[in-house]
Amino acid sequence: MFISMKWLARHVDLTGITPEQLADDLTLSTCEVEGIERFAPHMSDVVVGHVLEREPHPDADKLGVARVDVGGDEPLQIVCGAPNLAPGQRVAVATIGTVLPGDFKIKKSKIRGVESRGMICSVRELDLGDEHDGIWVLPEVGETPLAVGQPVAAALGMEDWVIEVDNKSLTHRPDLWGHRGIARELAAIYERELKPIDLEMPALGGGAPVSVRVEDPACSRYLGLAIDGAVNGVSPDWLRELLLAVGQRPIDLLVDLSNFVMLDLGQPNHAFDRDQLAVDGIVVRKARAGERMTTLDGEERELVESDLLITSGGDPVALAGVMGGEGSKVGDDTGRLLLECATFDATTVRRTSARLAHRTDSSARFEKTLDPTLPEAAAAHFANLLRGLQPGVSFPCALADAGEWSDPARSIHLRGDVVRRDLGVALHDDAIASILSRLGLTPTAAGGGFDVAIPSARALKDLTMERDLVEEVGRIHRYGSVPEAPLVGAIEPPPFDRRRQMVRAVEDRLAGAARFHQVLSYSFTPDDLLERTGCAAGDFVRAKNPVAPDMARVRREVLPSLLGLVESARRERDVVRLFELGKGYRPEEAGEDGMPREVHQLAMVLALPTTAADAPFDAGAFFQLRAAVDDVISAAGVTAPCWSSADTAHPAAHPVKQVAGAWSEELDGCGFVASLEPGVARALGLEGELASDVAVAVLDMDALLAAPPSPPTYRPLPKFPMVKVDVACVAPSEMPAAELGGMIEKAGKGAVRDLQLFDVFRGEALGEGKKSLAYHVVLQSDTKTLTDKDAQKFLGRLERSLEQQGAALRR
Amino acid sequence: MTDTTTILAETRARIADAPDVEALRAIEREVVGKDGVVASLLKSIPGLPAEERKGAGQSANELKQAVLAAIEEREASLGSAALEAERRADGFDGTLPPPRVERGTLHPVTQVTRELEDLFTSMGYMVLDGPEVELDDYNFEKLNIPADHPARDTQDTFYCSSPGSSASLLLRTHTSPVQVRAMERLEPPFRAIVPGKVFRQETTDASHEHTFHQMEGLVIDRNVSVGHLIGAMKTLLRGIFKKEIEVRLRPGYFPFVEPGFELDARCPFCTDGCSVCKRTTWIELLPCGLVHPNVLKAGGLDPEEWGGFAFGLGLSRLVMLRYGIDDVRHLLGGDLRFLDQF
Repeated sequence: MFISMKWLARHVDLTGITPEQLADDLTLSTCEVEGIERFAPHMSDVVVGHVLEREPHPDADKLGVARVDVGGDEPLQIVCGAPNLAPGQRVAVATIGTVLPGDFKIKKSKIRGVESRGMICSVRELDLGDEHDGIWVLPEVGETPLAVGQPVAAALGMEDWVIEVDNKSLTHRPDLWGHRGIARELAAIYERELKPIDLEMPALGGGAPVSVRVEDPACSRYLGLAIDGAVNGVSPDWLRELLLAVGQRPIDLLVDLSNFVMLDLGQPNHAFDRDQLAVDGIVVRKARAGERMTTLDGEERELVESDLLITSGGDPVALAGVMGGEGSKVGDDTGRLLLECATFDATTVRRTSARLAHRTDSSARFEKTLDPTLPEAAAAHFANLLRGLQPGVSFPCALADAGEWSDPARSIHLRGDVVRRDLGVALHDDAIASILSRLGLTPTAAGGGFDVAIPSARALKDLTMERDLVEEVGRIHRYGSVPEAPLVGAIEPPPFDRRRQMVRAVEDRLAGAARFHQVLSYSFTPDDLLERTGCAAGDFVRAKNPVAPDMARVRREVLPSLLGLVESARRERDVVRLFELGKGYRPEEAGEDGMPREVHQLAMVLALPTTAADAPFDAGAFFQLRAAVDDVISAAGVTAPCWSSADTAHPAAHPVKQVAGAWSEELDGCGFVASLEPGVARALGLEGELASDVAVAVLDMDALLAAPPSPPTYRPLPKFPMVKVDVACVAPSEMPAAELGGMIEKAGKGAVRDLQLFDVFRGEALGEGKKSLAYHVVLQSDTKTLTDKDAQKFLGRLERSLEQQGAALRR
Repeated sequence: MTDTTTILAETRARIADAPDVEALRAIEREVVGKDGVVASLLKSIPGLPAEERKGAGQSANELKQAVLAAIEEREASLGSAALEAERRADGFDGTLPPPRVERGTLHPVTQVTRELEDLFTSMGYMVLDGPEVELDDYNFEKLNIPADHPARDTQDTFYCSSPGSSASLLLRTHTSPVQVRAMERLEPPFRAIVPGKVFRQETTDASHEHTFHQMEGLVIDRNVSVGHLIGAMKTLLRGIFKKEIEVRLRPGYFPFVEPGFELDARCPFCTDGCSVCKRTTWIELLPCGLVHPNVLKAGGLDPEEWGGFAFGLGLSRLVMLRYGIDDVRHLLGGDLRFLDQF
């Protein structure tokens, strides 16, 4: 919203206050000022010229050649086509070098062979209005003609500063949507008087009032003032300039006055041509389905049943609070008016203006919930201003005043101690009372504090409880003068938070030793990515108003988000390691409150260039990722789970190359590690040059939290030497390594300190359906030095147990 | 029999020519070993005339000593020559690039979040979490933002549906819902921060994102004042910027605080206006305020007894300020070239 300083000065004396200071003070006490600008700065460059003579152009019938005195040594010769140019006029001259609106720089020129040293400006060229059928003949100010050569802005008193206020900072303050409201704040800030203005309704005639019927509670008050004998035309300069300063195009006197009243008091209003209204007056009602109307911007609009309408003779004449209708708008020959000043429901107006994507100065104000006592003041203001300009106007009948409303003015009790406690400032009761009074609130000492009378303008939603008044005192007193204070109280360390500790440990290990990059992703997963990763099945929480139609689904799991990054990442580098700790949402497991279950997951992806066929068994992505997963589980301080071949049924997991982890039957599984499903890999574009060996893992953080902890434990360093034995076991292909490992452990009778698989071999020499696994085994006892004999006994036991299971020891 | 002098001379010559320690050991075995020259000399002594025996024994021993000494000397010199050779390194260039160390990275949002968590936990704040898919009730109603409240205009909300649920769900527009959740769950007094993801239905560009990170702060205690809020915010900014930062509070409207403020910090990057502060020397950093009595009530607390302050820190924005990131979309974009920089 734009605020003119000159306009403000109609309400409060601003002598000695610079625009910068005013902007700062408003920002610190009231609302955010986004910028200050001079009004029409070019008007300080354009100078007053005196037309000495006008000769016809020798070579062009429609042009004239003027000699204009602009206070220099000699008059300027200026070629000008305006028909109304005449000697003796005072005019606005843009001399050479002056820049006019539209970045139009005046240069010395020759027009049809005649030199021209400047431009005599029209109103439109100065951006002061639309008139361009002639040059602007400057008005007379006082008795003596305007001094030649001075800036036009200074000569006509047009200097003004425009302050732009951030509308968002006024959301809760409907009273600040007009200059008088801002002026009241400034009066409080600077401790100056808010000048009285005449808001008394003029004498009204005894005729029958215009009939108004309100049929819908969305209009709580409809006030109609009939005015006769108005003469529409061009507004006086002061009015035009104030409107221009705040960005309003002057239209004609009646529209300009209507706008002025809105921008002055914050009450939107609308002037109807009474002759265009039906004799039965005004009916305020909701629109009917399929009803249409043409608004005064010429647009035909289709209405819906929630739109509130002003109708006359059954037809809509205005879209309540948003815009007037084309048919009944005031025109050049309007003399009989009906001025509407009404109170419309904020939500109704907001919905209509939002649906039509058409926000107006009027709807912006109604959306804030307006004071139902304001229409009367606004009508009186309009009437008094018009009468001041046109003493011949009359008000033939009583006000039409319909609707059901009540004055929201109220009283709030305020305790001085509460102000001092909440603000942390030692502020005396007198100072509190003074601030409240300056803001137009009326404190009366009562019960050790004040009963504060809140005027209707501020009582609706803004000031409703004691704390609201604490703010009033605080902001005028200034928060800058509140002394900073340390929080006092026992500082207890916050309770130990195992989840956070675990999250950090996991992040640190992955980003550290494991060399993974942490990703944070959107919670929306695009449909296309879900399809390609095979993860589109299942119920999803969906945004009803997504940023794009294919971005409605809120993710159930984290993995697809990472998979979506692999292709582009693989273009960048050979080895891609990504992880994300994030949330997913499961509608089918909703709680009693209807909220979907939130799962906390760690997802990991490892992508490598495809490994050679003869690479060692653990060179591929699957085993590398399994190593990282085991490592991160250990970093989380959790007992290693047992990994077993399983069908996780995860659509992105290879149907065979996968394991699932679990600690026990009672606990939830911890998740899985798998090679990427080959079809998914192709769908993700991981083929050809980008063909990759990809493994994925998903761990459930809640399961990790519930798993048995495994803090580091000390065991004494060995006292006896170890014995290293290498064993090679030939086993049926389908026998899991975990089973063989178990047999080795068992054969060691507690002496196996370390077990490391170093080779996996399949080949003709072994026979069909066989594999050979070779291990380094470290045997060590706490009580004696093991000998070769002990090692042989171990091998004997192992051999027997292998043979029982259909495997064999390769000697 | 061979003259020991001749043997010694020949052996010395061979020792001098020995290329390495192994050759020396071979010579040693051959001359002074069990079956070596010296041993056979000694063995032959009993067959010598008595008067020669003593001399022969002596010279055999002298031969042995001399050979061992020569070997030792040669071994020492071989050793130092080897060291010398190791010490030579012709053509060595220490400025050749070393192999690259691949590394992992923590997301910059994680890094800044941790820094703030550490700062706040050191002052007795708990770190809380809350749901991203939230109930309308917690995101708006309980925060003093009723259905027709104009503040809902300024919050472009993703409203959600969830199969089988009739609850009014949305993606939280701020971390503030955790204020009420915390009050419901914890015994006052308490202090808490809530880092997390929030959502706004917004068209994205370099400075707008529909998903970003925030950190809520909440202190609930008796007799909490604006002065305490200012003190806490200054401590926070010192922790973030590692220096004293001038701040100013100005009125700001947020329905869940009263009074509500915008906290501006003196621009930490300039003294006379820069692009970060849009040439104003102030940056708008933290919306904050005293917890609204209606919010305390919604959280089950008596506003006459308990009060508090709350603040909301734009984590994403802070990360961008910290590292000079010019496009907010990088944060959740997952581009390795971006992630690798932190």
